[in-house]
Amino acid sequence: MRVEEKLYTLRYKKDEQPHLAIIDPNKCLKCEEVNGVPQPCISVCPANVYSWINQRIVISYENCVECGACRIACPYSNISWKYPRYGLGIALRYG
Amino acid sequence: MKFDIVVVGAGPAGSSAAITAAKGGAKVLLLERGPEPGSKNVSGAMIRLDDFSSVYDVSSIPIERKVKNVDLILLSDSNRTRISVNVESNLATAARLKLDKWMAQQAEKAGAILITKTTVLGVEREGNEYKVETDRGEVRADRVVLAEGVNALVSMKANIRPDLTPDNAVQTVKEVYSLNKDEVNKRFGFKADDEGVSWRILGTDPVPYAGFLYVYKDAIAIGAGIPMKILIKRKITPYTVLDEVKERLGLNDLVKGASLREYSAKVIPEYGFPSWKACSGKVYLAGDAIGLVDPLTFNGIGPAVASGVVAGKASLESYECSKYESELMKNREVRRVVNGRPLVKELVEEENFKYYVKTINDLLHGWVYSDFSKVKLDTSKLLKHLLLGIGVFKS
Ligand SMILES: Cc1cc2nc3c(=O)[nH]c(=O)nc-3n(C[C@H](O)[C@H](O)[C@H](O)COP(=O)(O)OP(=O)(O)OC[C@H]3O[C@@H](n4cnc5c(N)ncnc54)[C@H](O)[C@@H]3O)c2cc1C
Ligand code: SF4
Ligand code: SF4
Repeated sequence: MRVEEKLYTLRYKKDEQPHLAIIDPNKCLKCEEVNGVPQPCISVCPANVYSWINQRIVISYENCVECGACRIACPYSNISWKYPRYGLGIALRYG
Repeated sequence: MKFDIVVVGAGPAGSSAAITAAKGGAKVLLLERGPEPGSKNVSGAMIRLDDFSSVYDVSSIPIERKVKNVDLILLSDSNRTRISVNVESNLATAARLKLDKWMAQQAEKAGAILITKTTVLGVEREGNEYKVETDRGEVRADRVVLAEGVNALVSMKANIRPDLTPDNAVQTVKEVYSLNKDEVNKRFGFKADDEGVSWRILGTDPVPYAGFLYVYKDAIAIGAGIPMKILIKRKITPYTVLDEVKERLGLNDLVKGASLREYSAKVIPEYGFPSWKACSGKVYLAGDAIGLVDPLTFNGIGPAVASGVVAGKASLESYECSKYESELMKNREVRRVVNGRPLVKELVEEENFKYYVKTINDLLHGWVYSDFSKVKLDTSKLLKHLLLGIGVFKS
């Protein structure tokens, strides 16, 4: 089963304001030079939130399961990582 | 609004701090970012019932099933071993949404005020009190407990502790498949509706991982934790590893016909207190926020409750930091995690992990075939880890 299908099982309430952002896209270029693809943020993410398209990281923040891995994995501390506001984002049934 | 104590996070650590402080007569506010306690939390959830009895009324604890066996499964490239440990009492499975809600409700009954859907953004000292800033406004408190879990943004922003690194973090993914109760009983051969099992899986391929299987009343949870640095180095995603685990263990057959009800993920910390501070001024950290998990067994709820109780007491009695940290170290649960860290750090090293899974597998297979020619004993390694292990058992 594709990850995108797995994510359909989750209850999401979307925060209109993205809770994740790349701080400096140039650092991602450097990261690609050093680490190749997929970069660390892409490897650790369980929800395919990050993709490398046209030499840029594109973020599908609405798929995020709020695990916290990408922030820790990024060698350049280049991800601005917050929680969605007001309890928005995922809501688990089992946890 | 002014409170004696604000507790950030209604997980096991936060609710345990809140109930302890509220029972002591303090005016306590418990803030949770999720729509309800537990709704943002991920774990296997095998729990030890005794861990809760010091502060909660356990007669109403919402368990799923009583664990009758814990099966240890070792998978190396060539061999597979399964050891089933019979459990007499005390272990159960629980779902986090119900368990965390139950803990928070007991804290409320003791007088704590719970507010959900509210994320704390920062804590700042102002004179003798603290300003707790949230996405819905600010509150004030004399003391603060930060029980915000592994992604401790508030503790990090306040410079009490650093972030984890890929060297000391495990990434886990988990899937929950729902089935009806009778079908679960049939597939596992349970004789009663409250009978359950937990599996712990240690495997070496395609990368070293620790897997688990837990049985809920009407669902089966399967997951795997992989050291983050291995995912990065091997450029492999966590769900690819979990898919391989399911394949190798035939789990797809076990959950055949069941529908996937939930997919989740969370980081497990492998580092923290006492290398990190657990306190600053009258701000006390507890649980995953200071890394109190044993990553090989995923036991984190027990230490979270235990450290939460200590934090609740500390906030109630306005401990100095040195006193809080020494009280934490006096706690058995906390000490066990702390003393286990050097050994765990060694064992999760790829080379060591592979060595032990393979050697134990080879030993047991050697015993079965009465041929130990495949077993390679590395005495210096064994001795080093034995010595570290003795330190853990003594704690
Ligand atoms: C896949 C997996 C399996 C596991 N299996 C087991 C197991 O079988 N048994 C076991 O004992 N342990 C297990 N653990 C470990 C266990 O889940 C944790 O150690 C435990 O949940 C830690 O409790 P805590 O209260 O410190 O943190 P958490 O349970 O993470 O609670 C933190 C709470 O704070 C809230 N929060 C965070 N930030 C803010 C903020 N800024 N404002 C407001 N609220 C906030 C969160 O929403 C959350 O409710 C497992 C972990 C994982 C990931
Ligand atoms: S790991 Fe960090 S620096 Fe590298 S691509 Fe991802 S966000 Fe950019
Ligand atoms: S927090 Fe987890 S799910 Fe969300 S983007 Fe980062 S790695 Fe992916």
